[in-house]
Amino acid sequence: MESKIGVKSLAVPGFSADVQALWAVVRREWTIFIRYPSWIIALFIWPVIFPMGYILTARALSGIDGSGLTTFENTTGLTEYVGYIAVGTMIWMWQNIVLWAVGYSLRNEQMRGTLESNWLSPTWRFAYLLGSSIPQLASMFMLMLVSGLEYAFLFRVNFSGSLWLTLLVILAAIPSVYGLGFAFASVVITLKEANAFVFLVRGIVMVFCGITYPLAILPKWMQSVSQWLPQTYIIHAVRTAALSTEGFSGIAFDLKMLVIFGIIWLAFGYLLFNMMERRARQTGAIGQY
Amino acid sequence: MTDFAIEARQLVKMFPARPGTGDKKANGESATTPRRRRWPFARKEPKAMFTAVNGVDLQIERGEIFGLLGPNGAGKSTTIRMLCTLLEPTSGTAHVNGFDIVRQANDVRRSLGTLLAGERSIYWKLTGRENLEYFAALYHIPQAVAKQRVDELIERMELKDRANELVEKYSTGMRQRIAIAKALLARPPILLLDEPTLGLDPQAARNLRELIAQLKQEGHTILLTTHYMEEADQLSDRIGIIDTGKVIALDTPEGLKRRIDQKEIIRLELTGWHDEIAGKLKSIAGIENITTHQQGEADLWEVNMQAQNSRAALPRIVEHISGNGTRLVNMNIVKPSLEDVFIYLTGKALRD
Repeated sequence: MESKIGVKSLAVPGFSADVQALWAVVRREWTIFIRYPSWIIALFIWPVIFPMGYILTARALSGIDGSGLTTFENTTGLTEYVGYIAVGTMIWMWQNIVLWAVGYSLRNEQMRGTLESNWLSPTWRFAYLLGSSIPQLASMFMLMLVSGLEYAFLFRVNFSGSLWLTLLVILAAIPSVYGLGFAFASVVITLKEANAFVFLVRGIVMVFCGITYPLAILPKWMQSVSQWLPQTYIIHAVRTAALSTEGFSGIAFDLKMLVIFGIIWLAFGYLLFNMMERRARQTGAIGQY
Repeated sequence: MTDFAIEARQLVKMFPARPGTGDKKANGESATTPRRRRWPFARKEPKAMFTAVNGVDLQIERGEIFGLLGPNGAGKSTTIRMLCTLLEPTSGTAHVNGFDIVRQANDVRRSLGTLLAGERSIYWKLTGRENLEYFAALYHIPQAVAKQRVDELIERMELKDRANELVEKYSTGMRQRIAIAKALLARPPILLLDEPTLGLDPQAARNLRELIAQLKQEGHTILLTTHYMEEADQLSDRIGIIDTGKVIALDTPEGLKRRIDQKEIIRLELTGWHDEIAGKLKSIAGIENITTHQQGEADLWEVNMQAQNSRAALPRIVEHISGNGTRLVNMNIVKPSLEDVFIYLTGKALRD
């Protein structure tokens, strides 16, 4: 890129330049994340506090001696009700945090005033959304690890399953969870405010995906709805992988469904992002607070 | 490929008008309001549109500083946003460094260093250096080159001692310098500077004006928007005045001033100003384009008006402002400035 009077640009475009830009977004997001000390509370305290209400309710209903747990065991095939609830609430928290953090990442940039200065650069624009999701994913892994350790050592939860299968399920879940986040981010940048939509989505996940109870207790029509939500398969698969000894066969169907949902949600998220980007260029939405 | 650094032909941008806000077309006509649909499935009426930019033509030579001036809402920000690819024009074409702003948007972005939104365009939770390293990556500058370039710009902006502090601890002037360094990172041939000295103290603004003049010497083409007439006058090779979405005048600062050479500017300072006085002054033959502004918090007003023949008009002016608690403090007849040209052309002061 050269001007006729000799100003020569330093830019060297190409694939590696785009990768370097993506990495810069990741580093920027991570640096800003750790400069707000509230992440320590989110990492260590919230994963224990949030499920506690459900766990104590379950304990009250099952009796202090656990005599009422037989029904739970008969329905779920598991004895570990604390782990059962912890897994369900963890997946719910994951989706919830993705909706807020990834969903609002572009909107937050827009309100800060930095979205335009990013948009003015020649970088692949999806890199901003993708790049801000990667540190979020890393912090989520840390959160899962810390809460797993907390439940194992503080609450004596017996994670009798396989760590590797659990990781495999989480890996398979990433496209659907973040695909929804990408789609949501694109909606938020256009509508400016979408709190009601976050509440709706997380409410649906809470009720239909069985975060604290087995789906078998739901009416048939609700169970039919559950089958269309990837979070249902994530929760079931993580419980099976982490708390039972069923092995790969116990999660094979869930993994297949997660791959299908992942492709659909990622494609939908990417498509919606491109539509938003195009629309924003026509309406000037990027610069509007 | 065009020979101009920036060339726009009949650039138009229309937005859907917000209902109930009394939106007007840029040319002053009201935007048409669509009729309400009688029932939900009825065919949609076409949306009412607001024309922000109405056929702008610009040809900016390589290596020149071009000042784009206009009152608020005149369409200059929309024009700038189209040129830097944040907005797509409704019709018309524009080329930046020879690249089409719609079809070759990424090449346009590579050609441009842009300062929009000033200090808000950088991350306050990152240090000055981290900001520049981040944007260097976004502008595809190889890492080794970027490191050297960041050091060079930090030195040039005189921020070496504070480069590793968070931007939130900087003064407005320091943040603005980082924002300008960001625009210069990739050494782009063309710079779009939107209100670069806004909010700066006089010394910082002077330093920045010197920097802009140096950048021109280094061969950069600069498109500058500013609210400060003296700044535009001092820096620009040519000035375009935009109003109601159209370029209404385009010339060198001297050329523009020559347009009202025959006119004189009467400048009054008085206390006890009433709006009715403006009406009386307007009734004097040969007096036009009266602007007023209050000086500080005291009841002291500066009133400027353009006159065909100040000697003939002065006795009547004094007559109209006498009495009713109004007191003349000072009076001058001055040479027309660029601000007066602006008022003459648009009928309003730049800050209106």
